Amino acid sequence: MRKQSAGFLFILPWLIGLVLFTLAPMIAAVYISLTDWTIVGEANFIGFDNYTHLFQSEEFYKSLWVTVRYALLAIPLIIATSLAISVMLDKGHKGVGIFRVVYYMPAIVSGVAVAIVFKWILDPNFGLINSILTFFNIKGPDWLYDPDWVLPSYLIMAVWGAGGSILTYLAALKDIPQDLYGAAMIDGAGTLQKVRFITVPMMTPIIFYNLIIGIIGAFRKFTDAYVLGGAGKEGNFIMVYLYEQAFNHYNMGYATALAWVLFAIILTLTIIVNATKKYWVHT
Amino acid sequence: MKRIGVLLIVLLLALHLIGCGRKKEESNNFEFATWAAGAELTDLREIVDKVNEAAAGEYVIEIQSIPSDYYVKISTQIAGKHSPDFFWMTQELVSKYAELGAIANLTSQFNESERLKPEEYYEGVLASATYKEKYWGLPWIANPMLVYYNKTMFEQIGIKVPTPTDDWTWEEFIQIARELTGKENYKGESTYGYVVDGWPNIETFIWAGGGDVIGEDGKTILLDSNESLKGVGYLQTIIAEGLTPRYAEIASLGSNNVWFEKQRVGMYMGGLQDNFEEKVNKMSEEAKFEIGYAPMPVCDDGTSWSFDWTASTVMKKDLEGNKLAYKALEDLTLAFFEWKVAPPVKNSVENVVKIAPLKDKAIETIEFTLLGARSANYVPEWSDINDKLWYNLYVKLLNDPTFDYKTEMKSIAEYSRGKIAARK
Amino acid sequence: MSFVKSQKPNSLYISNEKIRFRKIAWYVSLIIGSFIMLLPFLWMISTSFKLEDDIFSIPIKWFPDKITLDNFKRAFEVVPILKYMSNTLFIAVGKIFGEVFISAMAAYGFSRFKFRGRNFLFMVLLATMMLPYEVTMIPTFIVWSNLGLTDNYTPLILPAYFGAASFIFFLRMYFETFPASYEEAAIIDGANYLQIFRKIFLPLSKPALITIALWAFMGTWNDLLGQLIYINSTEKLTIQLGLASFSSMTGEVFWGPLMAASLLALLPIIALLLYAQKYFVEGVKMTGVKG
Repeated sequence: MRKQSAGFLFILPWLIGLVLFTLAPMIAAVYISLTDWTIVGEANFIGFDNYTHLFQSEEFYKSLWVTVRYALLAIPLIIATSLAISVMLDKGHKGVGIFRVVYYMPAIVSGVAVAIVFKWILDPNFGLINSILTFFNIKGPDWLYDPDWVLPSYLIMAVWGAGGSILTYLAALKDIPQDLYGAAMIDGAGTLQKVRFITVPMMTPIIFYNLIIGIIGAFRKFTDAYVLGGAGKEGNFIMVYLYEQAFNHYNMGYATALAWVLFAIILTLTIIVNATKKYWVHT
Repeated sequence: MKRIGVLLIVLLLALHLIGCGRKKEESNNFEFATWAAGAELTDLREIVDKVNEAAAGEYVIEIQSIPSDYYVKISTQIAGKHSPDFFWMTQELVSKYAELGAIANLTSQFNESERLKPEEYYEGVLASATYKEKYWGLPWIANPMLVYYNKTMFEQIGIKVPTPTDDWTWEEFIQIARELTGKENYKGESTYGYVVDGWPNIETFIWAGGGDVIGEDGKTILLDSNESLKGVGYLQTIIAEGLTPRYAEIASLGSNNVWFEKQRVGMYMGGLQDNFEEKVNKMSEEAKFEIGYAPMPVCDDGTSWSFDWTASTVMKKDLEGNKLAYKALEDLTLAFFEWKVAPPVKNSVENVVKIAPLKDKAIETIEFTLLGARSANYVPEWSDINDKLWYNLYVKLLNDPTFDYKTEMKSIAEYSRGKIAARK
Repeated sequence: MSFVKSQKPNSLYISNEKIRFRKIAWYVSLIIGSFIMLLPFLWMISTSFKLEDDIFSIPIKWFPDKITLDNFKRAFEVVPILKYMSNTLFIAVGKIFGEVFISAMAAYGFSRFKFRGRNFLFMVLLATMMLPYEVTMIPTFIVWSNLGLTDNYTPLILPAYFGAASFIFFLRMYFETFPASYEEAAIIDGANYLQIFRKIFLPLSKPALITIALWAFMGTWNDLLGQLIYINSTEKLTIQLGLASFSSMTGEVFWGPLMAASLLALLPIIALLLYAQKYFVEGVKMTGVKG
C-alpha cells in the first residue's frame, strides 16, 4: 500500500503538468479537427468531413507511403549504426573522449543547418558525393532531383545523424558489469560473440527506448524534408504535408484531423512494440 | 552549497518573470509587425522613429520583428486575439485574409484621404491590395520584373541589344537566347541564353501567350485557354532546346542569379531588388561586365505586362474605421516610399535613383515597366491552385520537356474551378 | 554486493601484436568516420572565413585564397549575437533544473513502483509525444495569451517544471537496468523512498542525467518555433531567431555571416559537450555502490 502511494507521489508533478498544459490543448485539438477552422477566421463545426476528405485524398496516401517507407528503412539502420558506434566508443583508448564529441556533433546542429549542408553534399553536379564518385569514374545520381533517389538521400542523412542517440547507449553501456565480459572471455568468446550475447541483451531497455523514439521521430520527420523537398514529391513526408495544409493553406481543421490520424498510427505501432517488450527486453 | 545554488536560480527566475508583466495597452500605441530583420530592421527602425517623432505623441508605433515563419506567427497571434495592429502582407494572401475577416477594409478612408489617394498608385500595383473591389492594404513597394542582359556578351557575339523600352516579342527573345547559348564566357565556360528554375513564375509565361490563370472577376479560370497553353509552350521551348541550364544544375551555383553574375547566362529576368550593379562593381577587372536593361517581351495579344511583387501594410480588423490608426498607417506608408525601390506611386521614379543610385542607367526601363506592372488576380484559393501549378506543372516540365503540359493544365483548370465553386 | 573489475582479461588470451593491430584498426576507422561526421562543420568553418565570391566556387575551395574576418564583423553588426545568446542561456538555465529533476522523479516513480493505473499513465505519457506540436501550438498560445503572458519567457520556462515526457521515458528505461537489490539493501538500512531516490538513484545515474541535461540545453538552444511564437520584443529574441535574420523573406541568404554566426552559436554547446563527455568515461555506477 505504502509503495503504491509513494510511486504516485513521484509522478504527481508530471501529472499536474499534463492536466495543466497538455490535456487542454489536446482536447481543443479534438474539437478543431471537427471544424473548418482557418486560424485567422471563424471555426464552423463540420462533423467528420475532414476525416472523410483525408481518406479520399491522394496526397495523404502518397505522403503516408513516403513516410512509411522511410520509417521501415531508417529506424533499423539508425539503431544498428548508433549501437555499433557506441560499442566502439565505449573503449578506454586514449582520445576516445574527442571521438565521442565528434560523433555526437551531428546531433547538436539544428535541422535547418544540416539540411543546408546536405543540399551541398548531395548536389548532382558539384556535390561532395558525386565529386568523389566522378573521381572513380562513376556518374553519380541526381539525388534529390531524381524521384528514385530521394529516399536514399534521406537515408544517408539519417545515418549521418545516427550519432545523436549514442549518448543513450553510452550511458547504458557503462552499466554493464565488466565481470560479465571477463567471464565470457574465460569461456573463450570472441568480440562479436560478446556483443551478441552480453552487450545487446543488456542494452535492450535502451534499444527499446530508441525504437519507440525512432518510430515517433520517423513519422514526425519534418525540418530537413521541409527545407530540401525532393523530386516527384518523394520528400513530401506526412508532417510536411500537415504543416503546409496548416500554415500555407490555412486548413487548420484538416491539418489537425491529419495529426490525429498520424497520432493513431504512431500509437498503434507503439502498442504493438510494447506488447513484444516482454519477449526481448531484458530486465 | 548545491541547494543554495538551485534556490538562487529559482529566485532569479521568479524575479525575472515578475519583471516582464503585461504591458499596458494604450489606444494610441500601435504595434507594427514586419518580416524585416538584421540590417533591414535597423533601417526600418530609423524610419519608424522619424514617423513617431513627427507624430509628436499623437500616436506611437512599436516594431515587432518576425525573422522567420512570418505568417505562422501572424496567424497565431490573430487566433489568440493578440494581432499586431499593422503588419506587412504579401500580395498572394490579401484576398485570403480579407475573405476570412482578419484584416480591416480601408476603402472609405483611402478614398476620402487627401494625402494618399488611390489614383496616385500604379493601377496594376494597387490591384494587388484590392479584393472584391475593396481596398485591404496600402502597398508600399513595387518590384516589377525586367530583363537584365549582359551587354558585353551581346556585343562580343554580335547580337543587337534591345532598347530600354523595346517592344520585342517572346519569339525574338527566344531567338536571342538561342544565339547566346553554347558560346564561351571569359573563363571559357559554356553559356546559356537564359535561366529558368521556377523563376520567372509560371504566370509570366502564361501571360506571354496572352492568357491568364484567373480572370479579373476572380472567378473565371483561363488556365486552359489556347492563349495560356501557348504561353507555357514558350517555357517548354526554352527548356527543350536547352536555352537554360538543366534544372538539377542550377542550384549548384547557389541560386539562379549567380549564373548571370558569373556570366554563364546572357539574360536574366529579375526585380529591382536584384543588386547586380553592386556585385559587378566589387568584381575583379576580368570578371566585370556591362549590364543592360530591357522591359519584358510583349505578350502575343500585344499587351505588355511585367509580373510585379507588391507587399502592403494591412490593419487588424478591430481597427476598421479608426481614424488615428489610419493616419498612423498612412504616415508609415508615405515614409516607406522614401525607403524602398520602387515606390508604388506614380511620379516618384526620381526616388529610385535617390534610394539606389546604381540603378540610374535602368531608370528608363523601370519607368516603362512600372506602367505595365501587375500581379496575378489572386483569390483566397490561390495557395491550392499555385501548389498544383508548381508541383504538377512547372516542376514536371523542368525535369522533362516532353511532359504533356497541355493535358495537365486542363486538369488543373478543372481542379481550380471546383475549388472556387466550393467557396462559401 | 560488489563488482570486481576484471583485470585485462584480454592479455590472458591474445598476443600483444593482435592487441596493437586492433588498436590501430580502431583508430583508423574512427578517424575516417570522424572526417565524415565533421564535414558539415568544416564547411561551416571554411565558409565563415571566405569572401562572398568564393563560397560557391567550383570546385569547392576548402582553403580560401584569401581569409577574411569580414563575415564575423558583419554578423555582429546585423544581429546582437551575444545579447541573444545570453537571452537563450537564461531560458536554458531556467528550464534545466525542472526538466532534469522533475523528469527523474517521475521516471523513478514509473520504474520502481507498482501502482494502479501505472501502465495506463505511462501510455498516456508516451501518447503526449505523438501528437504534433504544430496542432496544439495555437490552442496553447491562446491559453497563455489569455493569461497575459506573451512576450515573456514564462510560457517557455514554466512547463519544464512539470517534467518532459521524452526525458521521463528515457530515464525510466535507464532505471529499469538497475537491479532491485539496490533499494532492498537501503530499505533494510531504514532509508525512505525519497532518500533512496536522492542518495542512490540520482548519484548512480549521473551519465543519464548529464545526457538529458545536455538534451534539455540543446532543445532550448535550437528551438525556433516555440520562441518565435511567444517572444515579440526585439531585445528579448533568442539565438535561433537571430540566425534566421540572415536569410531574407525573398529567399536571399547571407551565407558568410550566417555561417560565422552559426559557428559562434555552436561554441557553447561544443564546450558543454566536451565538459560532459568525461562523465561517460568514468564508470559511475561501478564505484558508487559499496555493499
